[in-house]
Amino acid sequence: MADISTGLIALGSGLAIGLSAIAAAIAEKEIGAAAVGAMAEKEELFGKGLILTVIPETLVIFGLVVAILILNLAKGG
Amino acid sequence: MLKPHEMSSVIITGPNNVQENVIKELHELKVLHIVEHSKNELADIGKPMENAARLSEILVRVRALMSAFGIKSTKIEDFRDTKNAKQFLVKEDTKFELKRGTLEIESTARKLNEEASLNIEEMKKLDVQLAKNNAARQELEILKGIKVPLEDFTSYRTLSYFTGYTKNKGQIVALKKELSDATGKFMLFDSDAGGKCLIALFVDIKYGEQANSILQKLAFSPVNFLNISNLKGTAESNLKRINDEIEKLQRKKASVMKSQEKLAKEHMGFLIAADEFLAGQLEKAEAPLKFASTPSSFLIKGWIPAENLNKSIERLNKTAKNKIFVHFEPAKKNDMVPVKLKNPKIVKPFEFFMDLYSIPSYMEIDPTFFIFLTFPIFFGIMLGDVGYGALSLVLFWLLKRKMSKAKNFFNILILASFVTILFGLLFGEFFGSEFIRPIISREHEMFKLLYISIAIGVVHVNIGLVIGFINELKHHGFMHAIYAKASWIVLEMGIAMLALHYFGKIAISPILGAAFLGAALLMLIKGEGLIAPIEVLGLLSNILSYARLMAIGLSSVILAVIINDSARDFFRQGGFFILVGVLILIIGHGINIMLGLLGSFLHSLRLHYVEFFSKFFHGGAKKYTPFGARDE
Repeated sequence: MADISTGLIALGSGLAIGLSAIAAAIAEKEIGAAAVGAMAEKEELFGKGLILTVIPETLVIFGLVVAILILNLAKGG
Repeated sequence: MLKPHEMSSVIITGPNNVQENVIKELHELKVLHIVEHSKNELADIGKPMENAARLSEILVRVRALMSAFGIKSTKIEDFRDTKNAKQFLVKEDTKFELKRGTLEIESTARKLNEEASLNIEEMKKLDVQLAKNNAARQELEILKGIKVPLEDFTSYRTLSYFTGYTKNKGQIVALKKELSDATGKFMLFDSDAGGKCLIALFVDIKYGEQANSILQKLAFSPVNFLNISNLKGTAESNLKRINDEIEKLQRKKASVMKSQEKLAKEHMGFLIAADEFLAGQLEKAEAPLKFASTPSSFLIKGWIPAENLNKSIERLNKTAKNKIFVHFEPAKKNDMVPVKLKNPKIVKPFEFFMDLYSIPSYMEIDPTFFIFLTFPIFFGIMLGDVGYGALSLVLFWLLKRKMSKAKNFFNILILASFVTILFGLLFGEFFGSEFIRPIISREHEMFKLLYISIAIGVVHVNIGLVIGFINELKHHGFMHAIYAKASWIVLEMGIAMLALHYFGKIAISPILGAAFLGAALLMLIKGEGLIAPIEVLGLLSNILSYARLMAIGLSSVILAVIINDSARDFFRQGGFFILVGVLILIIGHGINIMLGLLGSFLHSLRLHYVEFFSKFFHGGAKKYTPFGARDE
């Protein structure tokens, strides 16, 4: 049976990735909608649209790294 | 490699009477990228040749026929791929090359058009009849159970009638009772219609209103029969007749369709060849619209790859009997040069990524080769599984054979899949399970992999900075290149020294690191303006962004492990559950492969477009599209 601090660590790392994923989703939603709109006007913008849309994805990666770092606390401590 | 084909700026002028010959020769040479002239006070744009309007008219007719016959672009591709089609096309082409060819196409197209539109007319007529009969059939099906001649459903002076559904049989009894209470003069027919009950009620017109309100009370839903008003006899006999008729009509329609299909099949080759020929002719006829022209002369501006220059000029002079003047010079610094990328065959498919993003400008380094080096590696690290790699290799190989148009795209993916297998061996993974002792385990050594990913990021970003340095050197000189690009490398050194000192790895005074940092910032401000230091954070996040190499791979591995574990649980239970386990394996890994391919592709591409390109790339050039070359 894990103690409460392990649980809190798990919770923290879950929050780290979950919240960053929500943030990325909100950002990507708006950019994606605009990018699709621009593409409908001008098809050559596909490349740029794709790039702009995936820029916020970095947020989740950071979230994941932080989550792993937090999880590592559980092992170390 | 790294540099596009060298281009020469070309100006061709001559008298109008050789214009047609020059256009013909240029169309055959397929080397001149024409720069469109825009009207100014010195010269107007040229007029299209007089047959242009007629050509486009015939072309429209041919294309209309193609769409009527359902000849789509994919079909054309398939047609071209077959061997005898090629012979056919070449044969037709030479035949059409004469002026007479156009007339021939026109008359054949007209005749075809007549035949095709006759068929289409006929088909439309049959469709209308079919729709009418189908509607009647539907109504007859409903009335089938009621034994009343159809001619009785008409308007009477002394009778009114109701047709429609009641909810169930029980309501009919209630209805009869209520009606006989109101009036004795009525006739009621009923039949079962799948749970509901169809009734036809005839009643004295005086009691019509009353009967209506009784029906309303019993939740009666009326049905009107509009399509059978002029039919006689029982529903049953009519139904048989109409069914026969529908069958006859359908047979007729099938035969018309067949003859249309036959027509399409017979003339497909002709139409495709005619379409190509006419499109080419029209391009020539409309070419003067891009030229500058005076009442008696024309002038064409454009670009020719330097290696084709001498031969092209020679041929042009020959065809115009030396009446034209051709001026040429190498590209100058601020020219908008159309770019034709130059890469060895194996790198060539990766030019697809440049088309997708932006064509590099003439003076800067063409990054296609660097994408060729790193894209498959990034893809491989992220997917990194022998099983997945082998499966996608087969998949993309099959798709490439199926869709020859997207050949480049699939060539990239095939190479990437191959690298995936190599990394799969390194990670020792086969469908998520470690089948050999891995050199690095993605599942258990994520920190090691994280550091490796970031290290790859540092290297990749710095390659970008070095390319940027070379670009700046060519464009703005040595000092600016130092300020704008080398400063970043100094900055990284400063940060590295401070970090190493902080962790106590090396004995350097932190002042030295800080000095590097400060110097770099000053250089940046000088090179890129006051806003530049904000970008320092950007550089850090760029490098950290390479953590996705580990992250995407990790998520794919964990998912695969979960799929394998849950399948194993089912296998242990034996019997029927083995089937369930197999199903989980197939569906689970199927989904995981799809996700993995999509993720690996997009993220690898993104690392190039966002993190790598932002260090050096300008782009925005026009693609070199020579006059006369068909789009491939």
